[in-house]
Amino acid sequence: MRSKTFICMTLLVVFSFIISEPALAHSGGGYGGGFISGFVHPILGWDHVAAMVAVGLWGAFLGAPSIWVLPVVFPIVMAFGAILGILGVPVPAVETGIALSAVVLGLMIAFAVKAPIWMSAVLVGLFAIFHGYAHGTELPASANIFAYAVGFVIATGMLHMIGIAFGLLVKWPAGRVAVRSAGGAISLAGVAFLVGAV
Amino acid sequence: MRAASLAILAILCLATPAGAHSPVPGIEGFYLGLLHPISTPAQALLMLGLGLLTGGLAKASARWLLIAFFVATGAGLLWTSGAVPDMAAFAVATLASTLAALAAGRYFPAMAALVVLGGLVVGAMSVPEGGLLRERLITMAGSFIGANLLLLYISGLVIIVKERASRAWIPIALRVAAAWVAAISAMMLAIYFAPNPSVASL
Repeated sequence: MRSKTFICMTLLVVFSFIISEPALAHSGGGYGGGFISGFVHPILGWDHVAAMVAVGLWGAFLGAPSIWVLPVVFPIVMAFGAILGILGVPVPAVETGIALSAVVLGLMIAFAVKAPIWMSAVLVGLFAIFHGYAHGTELPASANIFAYAVGFVIATGMLHMIGIAFGLLVKWPAGRVAVRSAGGAISLAGVAFLVGAV
Repeated sequence: MRAASLAILAILCLATPAGAHSPVPGIEGFYLGLLHPISTPAQALLMLGLGLLTGGLAKASARWLLIAFFVATGAGLLWTSGAVPDMAAFAVATLASTLAALAAGRYFPAMAALVVLGGLVVGAMSVPEGGLLRERLITMAGSFIGANLLLLYISGLVIIVKERASRAWIPIALRVAAAWVAAISAMMLAIYFAPNPSVASL
């Protein structure tokens, strides 16, 4: 009886999805539009996703205190990068810097590089400037700026958390292999971004 | 106890519905002031930043910062030189939350200075622009109580969570939250200096 109800409910949900149509009348303005704009900005750019997840993965791989230092350093320095973008301060090779962040951080994870805390913070901070700059310059004029900032900072933090959660698998031998493989994949994706293949 | 209950009951019976208009429909006077510290993004971020900063301390030390904030908001409410820009709140929020993220519970003099500065800004931003003196005083009293209660609750919550929950990720999560507040505040502050008019107007 219970499985019959479950099947009916599933069919109802699937049917709702089939008959639903895309909403076309939204302008993206206001708090909601601004938040959504900011939230999807890091998520829809694969280069951003790869680098943010890599930050979390590397932090988890390095263990304490890097596991919290990197996700704390990244948003603060990223905001600095965004400020440079908002103020119109020229920063060279932003897209290259973003692609390189995936390559370098991916390699650090793949080769299990145990960098000192200051070095990992400086490296992650350096790349955060490029990511923040891209967010700052691509600020949509129609969006609510506060909601946009909240959205993209939260999305960035969530990507870090995904990386950290996956990185915690290093406690087990098979997990260590999986995390290092993920680092390798991120690095390869970074190379693809670098040569413009993706 | 019974006398207090009867007094509260009498006040409730004597209360009449609010009829006048206010910037927030249905909310006015004392209650408008009470909600004022969370009425704008600048003040909400400032209160969050100060709460995370104060909550980074142990209970015994945090109370001194709460007292300092109490005095500073009172002093800020005496501000008579016109409206305080949101920029000031964003600046203090950036500094306070950056300190909370990078050096939680350390550099007490810097923490105290930021809490005092934050209290002055919150107080000065809560001074009503016009209206009768009596109404302004009632709104200011609401703001004073609202700001202090809010800081007490945020910092108290942080301290209780830190002390009672022994999970290792909680201090990390609090630092990350402070870093997020710092990042948002810094970006909002930068908007005021944007050369691009389409961004600056935001």
